[in-house]
Amino acid sequence: MEPKIGVYICDCGSNILGKVDVPKVVEYIQNLPTVTIAREYRFMCSGPGQDLIEQDIKEMGLNRVVVASCSPQMHEPTFRRLMQRAGLNPYLFEMANIREHASWVTDDPDAATEKARALVSAAVRRVYYQEPLETREVPVHPDTLVVGGGIAGIQAALEIADSGHKVYLVEREPSIGGHMIQLDKTFPTLDCSACILTPKMTLSGTHPFIELMTYSEVTEVSGFIGNFKVKIRKKPRYIDVDECNGCSDCEKVCPVTVPSEFNMKLGTRKATYRPFPQAVPSAYVIDKQGKSPCSVTCPAGVNAHGYVALISQGKFKEAIEVLRRTMPFAGVCGRVCTHPCETECERGKVDQPIAIRALKRFMADYELKNGREKAQPVERTKKDKVAVVGSGPAGLACAYDLVKAGYTVTVFEAADKAGGMLRYGIPEYRLPKSILDSEIDYVKELGVEIKTKTTVKDIDEIKKQGYKAVFLANGAWVSQKMNIPGEDAEGVMHAIEFLKQVSEGKKVELGNKVAVVGGGNAAVDAARTALRLGAKDVSIIYRRSRAEMPAIASEIDEMEEEGVKIRYLTNPVEVIAANGKLAKVRCIRMELGEPDASGRRRPVPVDGSEFEMEIGTLIMATGQAVNKSMLPGNIAYSESGTVKADEITYETSVKGVFAGGDVVAGPATVIEAVAAGKEAAISIDRYLQGTDMKEGRPEEKERVKDVPKKGVAKQPRATMSKLPVAERTRSFKEVEAGLDENAAIEEANRCLNCAVCCECLLCVSACERNAVRHDMKEEIVEVDVGNIILATGFKEFDPSVMQQYGYGRLPNVITGLEFERMVNSAGPTSGKIMLKNGEEPKSLAIVHCVGSRDINYHEYCSSVCCMYSLKFSHLLREHLPNAEVYEFYIDIRAPRKGFEEFYNRILKEGTILYRGRPGEITDVAETPYEQGKLIVKFENTLIGEKERLPVDMVILSAALEPHENARDVARIFNISCGEGDFFIERHPKLDPVATMTEGVFIAGCCESPKDIRDSVAQASAAAARVLALISKGKVETEATIAEIDEERCSGCRVCNLLCPYGAIDFDEEKKVSKINDAICKGCGACVAACPSAAIKHKHYTTQEIMAQIEGILA
Amino acid sequence: MSWEPKIVGFLCNWCSYRGADLAGTSRIHFAPNVKVIRVPCSTRVEPSFVIKAFQSGADGVLILGCHPGDCHYIEGNYKTMRRVPLLKKMLKQFGIEPERVRLDWVSASEGQKYATVVNEMTEKVRELGPFNANNGEGQHGKN
Repeated sequence: MEPKIGVYICDCGSNILGKVDVPKVVEYIQNLPTVTIAREYRFMCSGPGQDLIEQDIKEMGLNRVVVASCSPQMHEPTFRRLMQRAGLNPYLFEMANIREHASWVTDDPDAATEKARALVSAAVRRVYYQEPLETREVPVHPDTLVVGGGIAGIQAALEIADSGHKVYLVEREPSIGGHMIQLDKTFPTLDCSACILTPKMTLSGTHPFIELMTYSEVTEVSGFIGNFKVKIRKKPRYIDVDECNGCSDCEKVCPVTVPSEFNMKLGTRKATYRPFPQAVPSAYVIDKQGKSPCSVTCPAGVNAHGYVALISQGKFKEAIEVLRRTMPFAGVCGRVCTHPCETECERGKVDQPIAIRALKRFMADYELKNGREKAQPVERTKKDKVAVVGSGPAGLACAYDLVKAGYTVTVFEAADKAGGMLRYGIPEYRLPKSILDSEIDYVKELGVEIKTKTTVKDIDEIKKQGYKAVFLANGAWVSQKMNIPGEDAEGVMHAIEFLKQVSEGKKVELGNKVAVVGGGNAAVDAARTALRLGAKDVSIIYRRSRAEMPAIASEIDEMEEEGVKIRYLTNPVEVIAANGKLAKVRCIRMELGEPDASGRRRPVPVDGSEFEMEIGTLIMATGQAVNKSMLPGNIAYSESGTVKADEITYETSVKGVFAGGDVVAGPATVIEAVAAGKEAAISIDRYLQGTDMKEGRPEEKERVKDVPKKGVAKQPRATMSKLPVAERTRSFKEVEAGLDENAAIEEANRCLNCAVCCECLLCVSACERNAVRHDMKEEIVEVDVGNIILATGFKEFDPSVMQQYGYGRLPNVITGLEFERMVNSAGPTSGKIMLKNGEEPKSLAIVHCVGSRDINYHEYCSSVCCMYSLKFSHLLREHLPNAEVYEFYIDIRAPRKGFEEFYNRILKEGTILYRGRPGEITDVAETPYEQGKLIVKFENTLIGEKERLPVDMVILSAALEPHENARDVARIFNISCGEGDFFIERHPKLDPVATMTEGVFIAGCCESPKDIRDSVAQASAAAARVLALISKGKVETEATIAEIDEERCSGCRVCNLLCPYGAIDFDEEKKVSKINDAICKGCGACVAACPSAAIKHKHYTTQEIMAQIEGILA
Repeated sequence: MSWEPKIVGFLCNWCSYRGADLAGTSRIHFAPNVKVIRVPCSTRVEPSFVIKAFQSGADGVLILGCHPGDCHYIEGNYKTMRRVPLLKKMLKQFGIEPERVRLDWVSASEGQKYATVVNEMTEKVRELGPFNANNGEGQHGKN
């Protein structure tokens, strides 16, 4: 059918006619060959205007229509409906925007007219090619998603649920209530906020049509109006919401106290908490922010945060049990551990790390001092027997975990006594044998059998005895030689043998001048031991410098205090013997070169720098190796000569035989040996149970990311008293004295509680209903909904960026929300308004517009501050009748019902109002009267004078601003943010609850700052819109989508990957791509990309747009 | 009448077209030279539209979309972002100054930005002078 086009140009009163010469445009258009009729009319959108078009359609047989008027965003739907009424397909209509895009944007009538002419001409050419399109109807899912559990979200959810339709109410905090539940009273009626909100909260929690999802966040939304698919991440609450009855037993035992977000950090809460007593749901939640750095760093995974937190509460007995969940060596590791935990401790970024090792030792000392109770033997729940070879830290740690898992464990030890290097390698003054004995006893009491003086080499033999698995933890006991001439001379010893002999109480003859070669802990131990045995002159010969010395720094310090000298950058090259007996040592000077494989700078000899030293005894501490003669013959070794074992499972080349500790790693630390023993225990258990040994290993631990340190006062870490040097060098008495109870508690209280929950698990035993689930994982729930209402609210502006007001720096400058909590009788001060020193303020200033109406922060008015500030004045009158109250305002904005009356009431109550925004709040006094006060510096603009007003407290009425993640939320729901990041409504006046995305509505402060009443009204409006759609039950699908012409498609599949919705599939049979029209949204990405021009974009066809281009330039 | 730059503007329906509407409702005055064609998304703009505009007498082409990350169709503007530089490269080979094509982002709340971009573009094209398809090196593009 030949197109017959009618063109209707609107004057829009004078809106268009004022600039555009409409008759001239009409004349031009009328002369276009395809145009049947062109007309001008005053208001095309009016009834008579529409009638005019309808009449022409009927009388002239028009089949295409162009209206040139305002933006299609405004009236395209109006005229499309008119087309339908007149019996034409609505897609045969085109609109030219000559108002917003022409008449309103220029002063020049000629330019406006020319632009209008071009736009209408383009529309005429375009409409010529437009085709009728059909839409399909799809059903609307009757469920609704409401995001945000503040008053707006609650209101919207209740309205929809009350009509009998299901609502998912998602809130990211542990309780619904939003900001409103933090408020004390509400203006202008002075209703108690909690009193009017809690009934609605409770109803939301119990409503049969509301599924409450607190502590949850929406992560993904797909689909379209009527048919959204929503993914919701339910954060683990670690407490079963259904089981928890809110009894607070868990909270009582929780040792971790952190600032309460609900009380604006004016008060505290526990790690196990409920934000406020009326929370909905009433169930508790455990705040876990990841794993504490100390616990993540420990190679053995000892939960240091747990026992530190319990020590801070004086729960010493419980504290040591936390450690014993992982390993038995509180006293040992509390003395000799290299404490990587302290290196990572976040407190170190404030002042110094927590003295974690000292606290660990304290627990053990405390227990020993007060008499340790015998451990209860563990029940043997597993039938299998396991053999452990070696009773050092690796062997004992493995035996410990296996016996606790229910196995029968025998430890075979070649030496006279158990303990390995702990006993024979570490001198008494560092680790008293009594401590070691007690901890080995503990392991035995659990049921581990230790057979000393028993060498095990033959695996088959041991298997014959019924052992199903073996753990080799033989250690590395052979001193490595230096391979220099003369080193076998009498008077040359090796550190390990030397230390062992001393430990065993054997007499060791030393010369007067003793030199120890090496820079590790064995060297330091040997030197200090030699000193204690009476050597007059002890020195260390080390080939690198202090920075490269691997020994524990504090041990080196103590050694030097005791008088041991260190010769750095020196290396022995020859032992000169006289009569087979050591006399001199020839050494060479070294210098540091490039870093080697260990990352330390490699020492390089300096030519011609050799010199001789007279030495009586030379002790070699230059490395330890594995004693292969003590190991099974069929075991494989690594290149470095240690037993080869799998990095994860610690299994050796022989099935069922595992190995760990120094025998695998070479000489390393106690805690690393413990870690290896523990990992081997896991493998042995899995091996014996027949499960996969590698699955889920190594365990991933998420270290807590940001640890707040703001406002943490510096406090030095606890130190232990040490034995005087003179006394040290004469005996093997322990050097460090340990902490006393008070010092330990004080030190533990320095802990920043990085992960918040310390996983001490006291809550688990405290809960009678077994509702605590520390192993809870986050859950992703997928729901189908037809519509979405966003009510994500606001956050309070942080005034600390306005340095002139001193918030965060001056103690008695607080924000409005902080004041709300302070004045609330259930708040952190029980309703007492007080200064930081606990005194009552006698004068207060309330500053309006902090962060609002300020081009440096937010240009907008936050809309509620005037009224809530006036409310504060009233509350101050009630609480502090004699206090002076001042308000500083720019303008008082009181435009709603009862607001002006409320303002007048406050004026009568005696509050003094100054018109003027304070320039500064300072504590620098200029007169004695100002001393100790906060001085508000401002211009009293009504009299034009600068003034200073000293007060005790300042309340900053801070702006309402969008959440930091507002843009991310907008992206998830495919809506937009305006300037200031508030969500954009579909139309600022006519459609303030809908968004550009059909089926997504907004309510409350996420759209713009507003009071409770407006939030409720907007929420109800959004609910009404949703209910209208649910009630209609169906929506039309997009008609302007893409379509592939199979004949032209070459099957290149370029479009398949381009589609953001995955709407394009490849038909393998026909070798062409196909668009799923239920999924296609009509963006046109594929159309523009198709190299064969095989894709047609309905209503935006290439032909239509090309015609439009021609028209615009005609 | 002296020469005035003719510029075709392709504006996405969700952000930039609404930004242009906002400039209108806010009565911001700016150069009248850009005439707008509404497309669902900037990614709908085929390179051939730009060529067609130049063939039909345009002196410049302005393509506006939602800010990166804000696309109504998730990622359409990213595709435009990658496509336009390629197009400019090709235009250059045809002897067309790449500055005659400009891609920018205007959100629904950026009426002022729209006006500024239009003014800048108009000035730029005015500087470059009228586009003549038969000029200079355009020859080998013609067969």
